[in-house]
Amino acid sequence: MSYHEKLEKILMKAQKPARYIGGELNSVVKDKDEVDIRFGFCFPDLYEVGMSHLGMKILYSLMNEREDIWCERIFSPDRDMEKLMRENGILLYGLESLEPVKDFDMIGFTLQYELSFTTILNMLDLAGLPVESKDRPGLAPIVVAGGPCACNPEPIADFIDLFILGEGEEVNLELIDLYKRAKRENLSKEEFLRQASQIPGIYVPSLYDVSYRDDGTIERLTPLHGAPEKVGKRIIKEIDQVYYPENFVVPFIDVVHDRAMVEVLRGCIRGCRFCQAGFIYRPFREKQAGTINKNAEDLCRTTGYDEISLSSLSTSDLSSLEDLMDQLLSWTDKEKVNLSLPSLRVDNFSESLLEKVTSVRKSGLTFAPEAGTQRLRDVINKNVTEQEIMNTCRMAFEGGYTSVKLYFMLGLPTETDADIKGIIETAQKVIHLYSTLENKPKGKGVKITVSVSSFVPKPFTPFQFEPQDTMEMLREKQKYMVSCNNSRKITLNWHEVKVSFLEGVLARGDRRLGKVIRAAWEKGCVLDGWDEHYQFDAWMKAFEEQDVDPAFYANRRREFDEVLPWDHLDFGVSKAFLIRENKKAHEEVTTPHCRQKCSGCGANKLLGGECFA
Amino acid sequence: MHNIRVFYNKTQRAKYISHLDINRCMQRALKRSGLPVWFTEGFHTHIYVTFALPTPLGFESMYEVMDFRLVEELPMKEVVRRLNEHLPQGIEIWGAGAPVMKPERIKYAEYDLSLTYLDKTGAETGAHLEEFMEQESIIVTKKTKKKVKEIDLKPLVSVLHTEVCGDTLKLTIRTNAGILLNVNPMLFLEAFESRYGLRSDYWKITKKKVLDENLKDFV
Repeated sequence: MSYHEKLEKILMKAQKPARYIGGELNSVVKDKDEVDIRFGFCFPDLYEVGMSHLGMKILYSLMNEREDIWCERIFSPDRDMEKLMRENGILLYGLESLEPVKDFDMIGFTLQYELSFTTILNMLDLAGLPVESKDRPGLAPIVVAGGPCACNPEPIADFIDLFILGEGEEVNLELIDLYKRAKRENLSKEEFLRQASQIPGIYVPSLYDVSYRDDGTIERLTPLHGAPEKVGKRIIKEIDQVYYPENFVVPFIDVVHDRAMVEVLRGCIRGCRFCQAGFIYRPFREKQAGTINKNAEDLCRTTGYDEISLSSLSTSDLSSLEDLMDQLLSWTDKEKVNLSLPSLRVDNFSESLLEKVTSVRKSGLTFAPEAGTQRLRDVINKNVTEQEIMNTCRMAFEGGYTSVKLYFMLGLPTETDADIKGIIETAQKVIHLYSTLENKPKGKGVKITVSVSSFVPKPFTPFQFEPQDTMEMLREKQKYMVSCNNSRKITLNWHEVKVSFLEGVLARGDRRLGKVIRAAWEKGCVLDGWDEHYQFDAWMKAFEEQDVDPAFYANRRREFDEVLPWDHLDFGVSKAFLIRENKKAHEEVTTPHCRQKCSGCGANKLLGGECFA
Repeated sequence: MHNIRVFYNKTQRAKYISHLDINRCMQRALKRSGLPVWFTEGFHTHIYVTFALPTPLGFESMYEVMDFRLVEELPMKEVVRRLNEHLPQGIEIWGAGAPVMKPERIKYAEYDLSLTYLDKTGAETGAHLEEFMEQESIIVTKKTKKKVKEIDLKPLVSVLHTEVCGDTLKLTIRTNAGILLNVNPMLFLEAFESRYGLRSDYWKITKKKVLDENLKDFV
């Protein structure tokens, strides 16, 4: 019986079977005998999440442009499908060929969030592969991983053969070319990994030996077999010239982000001290309006999408945004295509820009003040004033909006009750503003949704040294925040602290967490990012059994001179800069954004010059 | 404004696309094709499409029907060609024309079923089926959105043809179909399986025809 036939027998027993059969428009099917390299691009989450991810779309198309490579997509099955697969002896397969990924040359995981780590183990196991790198002696398949969480990959160093640091467009192809040669010359896996470690941007964890002090901190990290002392991330210098797909695979089922996403810039000039993305993607580089407009046109033509979204960390920092909006609006209106602009900042959201956005769609507006008082916003370097928040809300209300979503965090360094109360007060001021506005939308009440997440300190941020609030502290703070609110116009949402705690442990973990992750997975933990699947107690039991204290990773302050698990990785920003920023945070001093003044973070070395010439 | 009715197949991997998803898939294909389609009026404007008797998830179909509107007149051949160029694999338009019948006219549908059961030969399955169909009545409970009601399948389903292929029984059935009374072949199948305690190894169902009250093709 063919693999396809086996699959046919179980598919109708699974929820949303369209997730497991491929065949979508623009998916790439090649003749496996005509290609040299079969690459399995794995997203360690469900189809509807993975299919929303822009990075995967870019790399999928980039690899498939090459005749010698066939890149396929692989997502984690949901629990019902996993059970059916295990019962019926169906190994994890690529959606394009419907063939087992264990027969591929290379399997690549994208690391978008820490809570996907157990899903990686589960997918390797479903593929019929040993989960630990040392138990996979052969050259094929090589298991690689990249993405934001690769900036501290130590917790999963046991499972992944090599990590790809930074932007993948160039280094992925260099790695595949090396692999092609290794395959031709019949190199051992060890030899291949040693050679790969010489490619800038490739980190091979097995080539580093870690020793620890008695207090549990890292003593030193020793490179072996000529591996570099520090591994730097890769970036694309000329972002306007970078490859961008002309089409996307168009899913049949409804996925989280189902629209034409166009990337407008990389990096961020802002330097909010809690934000990992704001540092690890530096330096700031932007595409030109004409390029972005063409990308959008191509995508709409090839996919039939009727919505474009501009993707970046802070779209309003695009210097040509108004020009771009004019170019886009010149055809989107006629073609009945909607525009959505996530990631706008409240401080430079101009009236004419708002007009352009509202001419397209009037739904809710979302702002992220992040902290409830100016003092705390200064600590985190979120350079937004209350006046700016109110001005933007006023413009939005006058433009016809009646609902505003505000994002905040609890548990930020130096936070006091006044800051927590400030969250509710900010929301109340927005309500007050609305009720006193003369030309507000008629006959409609205002609705404010306040979403409050728990702060998780992340590597390569100025707060990488900070202790995370314990779960008890966060719960107390949530309780206090709720008690401050007496308005029905405010809807308060907050996150389960058990999830933030584990995220905090894994984010700043080291290699000793590998055995805990494995133990948690063996206890059935998988898809931890989903509330209905998350098993906090099983995780805590895994920590206990492996004799690892999670609080050591989550709730401990690090000295500036401590060797951190990711210190041997270089993401552009220097540790000296992060220390400087940390000190300024405690002094409640802000740092101007990169366009105003270079703060000397160090990322410009990746460009070989200044960021803003 | 020109009303267009297209007829298409939905086979292979496309059989896993649900009706709701087909709706979106077709709107996108129409958009890609660049055909001068009519958009609905109103705030959330979209391409107007409507389907007569859409096939349930998991069935193949050789007779799917979709209506939409063009704002310019075009030769039907061109409409079919341009749309086919932009459809995903497994969906193929085989006919187009101005709608003749209203969807209310649909009275019957015909399906090919291919059934394989664990520990049963095709002949054994066939014998069960024969006995099953000889019953005076076949009472099943049908769940609708609002209520559960009992119906008799006997007058609503007829077996037109059977054929044994090794472990598999192939048959063709005709069921009542349409807006007022629609019998999903799964309802029939489940009743059959539970009567004899059959455990499915594999089934395949293909919708072959959609017919009016005179057993003429729905066009």
